[in-house]
Amino acid sequence: MKQKNISFKGKVLQGIQDMFYIWREEMHKIFTDQGILIFFFLVPLAYPLLYAFIYTNEVVREVPAVVVDNSNSSMSREFIRKVDATADISIMGYCSDLEEAKEILKRGEAYGIYYIPEDFTDKLMHLEQSEISIFCDMSGMLYYKAMLLSATEVSLEMNKDIKIARAGNTTDRQDEVTAQPIEYESVALFNPQNGFASFLIPAVLILIIQQTLLLGVGLSVGTDRERNRINDLVPISRHYNGTLRIVMGKSFAYFLVYAVVCIYVLCVVPRIFSLPQIANPFTLMAFLLPFVIACIFFAMASSVFVKNRETCMLMFVFTSVPLLFLSGISWPSSAIPWFWKAFSYIFPSTFGIKGFVAINNMGATLNEVAIFYVALWIQAGVYFILTCVAYRWQIIRSRKNAIAMHMASRAAK
Amino acid sequence: MTRINKDTIIRIANVFRRECRILVSRPLYLFCMVIAPLFCYIFFTTMMDSGLPKELPVGLVDQDNTSVTRMVARNLDAFQQTDIVAHYPDFTSARTALQRGEIYGFFYIPDGTTTEAITSNQPKVSFYTNNAYLIPGSLLFRDMKMMSELASGALARETLYARGFTEDQAMAILQPIVIDTHALNNPWLNYSVYLCNTMLPGVLMLLIFMVTAYSIAVEIKHDTAREWLDMSGDSIYVAIIGKLLPHTIIFFIMSIFYNVYLYGFLHFPCNSGIGPMIFASLLLVVASQMCGVFMVGIFPTPRLALSFASLWGVISFSISGFTYPVMAMHPVLQAASNLFPLRHYFLIYVDQALNGYSMFYSWKAYLALLLFTFLPFLIIKRLKNALKTYTYIP
Repeated sequence: MKQKNISFKGKVLQGIQDMFYIWREEMHKIFTDQGILIFFFLVPLAYPLLYAFIYTNEVVREVPAVVVDNSNSSMSREFIRKVDATADISIMGYCSDLEEAKEILKRGEAYGIYYIPEDFTDKLMHLEQSEISIFCDMSGMLYYKAMLLSATEVSLEMNKDIKIARAGNTTDRQDEVTAQPIEYESVALFNPQNGFASFLIPAVLILIIQQTLLLGVGLSVGTDRERNRINDLVPISRHYNGTLRIVMGKSFAYFLVYAVVCIYVLCVVPRIFSLPQIANPFTLMAFLLPFVIACIFFAMASSVFVKNRETCMLMFVFTSVPLLFLSGISWPSSAIPWFWKAFSYIFPSTFGIKGFVAINNMGATLNEVAIFYVALWIQAGVYFILTCVAYRWQIIRSRKNAIAMHMASRAAK
Repeated sequence: MTRINKDTIIRIANVFRRECRILVSRPLYLFCMVIAPLFCYIFFTTMMDSGLPKELPVGLVDQDNTSVTRMVARNLDAFQQTDIVAHYPDFTSARTALQRGEIYGFFYIPDGTTTEAITSNQPKVSFYTNNAYLIPGSLLFRDMKMMSELASGALARETLYARGFTEDQAMAILQPIVIDTHALNNPWLNYSVYLCNTMLPGVLMLLIFMVTAYSIAVEIKHDTAREWLDMSGDSIYVAIIGKLLPHTIIFFIMSIFYNVYLYGFLHFPCNSGIGPMIFASLLLVVASQMCGVFMVGIFPTPRLALSFASLWGVISFSISGFTYPVMAMHPVLQAASNLFPLRHYFLIYVDQALNGYSMFYSWKAYLALLLFTFLPFLIIKRLKNALKTYTYIP
């Protein structure tokens, strides 16, 4: 142990040199290992494109529906015509009764039924409330939404006309006021067409960053262990003497790679598919910095448990689906039970997704996402410390193992 | 092909025993075959326990602040889905709260609304929903629209009551046509019913893909493939049947478990009886296993086979159409969706458990799942060759 005689300055210099050595080794590994290449480059490159392609139409149009029109009056025909004219619904046929219509639903040729009863117009004439029933197949919420929204829109429009006709006003302005004493408007903020891609893809993109890091780093660690004679994570070499230089050297390599990957995934992909992107670039960059750092150290800390190259895939891939739900993007945070909410704070993706969506889709500044921003820095710090502890423990273990091996081989002689 | 005789059965039994020993020797298998699926079953069902999100936080900007506008606010708060958590002095502060994620939408009533309404000047109120969050955005949109209609009607209704109309008469004048909605077989619009029925089998399918591909590829990696084939009398069929049978049993038990859990314990709609669903689950398990064999046959190295398995498995969730309908996808993807076992399982579930149609209506989906079990025949030679000659390169 000659190093003890070296001055503090010399030690720091040595450390920095070792750090760059380890960084170079890690970079070399990233660019030569097929598995790591898949996760660090191929998946981030291809997956967003695939997802954007799946959701490219954003909304469901022209959901096929059938009509049972027992009234067969000019009013009922007007209703049907107007529903058919909406973008959401396409009337594909008429049936004589509900049974026949349900048979068409069974064959999967339509997803809903508009049922207009015989006394539809009579009731309107008698100044009674008149009902139109819709029956909707519930295999998809979007079918239901399309059926309900178009029927409601058309009924409101017709109600307006009926009211105006009954009021017998003299001016157009009076007509308007009769129809609607208080006018209202609805504004769908940040996703005006209510599209699926605009809502889901940003969350998926952030998740891809975290999950590919988890898998790639896990693979790299698995390789280290498999190459090592005694399955240790840290090789015995004069460059691998300090915890800090190993952790910093490796994380720096990942950081450089992911700086590029992030720009592609989070800036280029939304642009290609013209998804909402109203972020201030500096805000976005400032927010992504702690996110990427937190993800890197989260991946490094978790990777200590990876024993073989492939186990990380078996262990981590399925978590993507629950993680998407934990982020509160598909299922509202306010409806998530407290224990799952607490559990979600473990993962950088939870804060990453919320913050990214706020900045990217809603144009928030760091001020509005302060909670997520601070949380990510805290995670980055905690996972950095955990990574150091884990590596320290691994260094001690590999030294012990090496000494034990050495002793054993000596004893054998 | 080997003829089925006593030897074959003994060989299958030997491989079966060997596989059982492997399964118990590694905690990884316990994790992937039992713990991970169980965790996901519990996770998704408890996560969406409320069925339909209730009490979504919304804000109110009431610059008019009269008895009428306060009534509007009270009415909005009374809706099951909405909960007014804050009042904001102006639009900007409400928007900021929206960006912070504190509220999902807000109602904006400008100054002078009541006066203008009374003097027939048609004032305008607005509601803003944050549709970057699709589910809460859509739910709020519905309630707020209803609310606005009611607010608009409230004034007119008062006038009508004053003129001696009954409530029914007043409603008939204000809303001549009403829509009566029947959400067939899921009248509660329960999201848990809508998602969990496909999500849980989906997770199981993903894990089956991976475990199957891994368990075969790892034989190549650990140089035990020859030993495995020798034990099977050099028959790849015996080898695969013997190896995968224990998996089939475990995964089938796991699938029965979610069926019982969903339909027996949580009482999700199961209008066909549980029988067809258990049958469909068995088909899904076997189809997924055979997909796994196919994957490892195409790429006989662990990392590529597993990458393929995870890619196919994760995409299944999006492409099987239980969240975003297949009919809204690009025609190429509509065709491609048939290549995913989960898609067919989903169709069976909709027809059988959800809608209670007879099995005849979903024969195509059953047939498709059966076809998946023939996939390995396409690559069986390649796989056998790989098992015999491949050496693992780290």
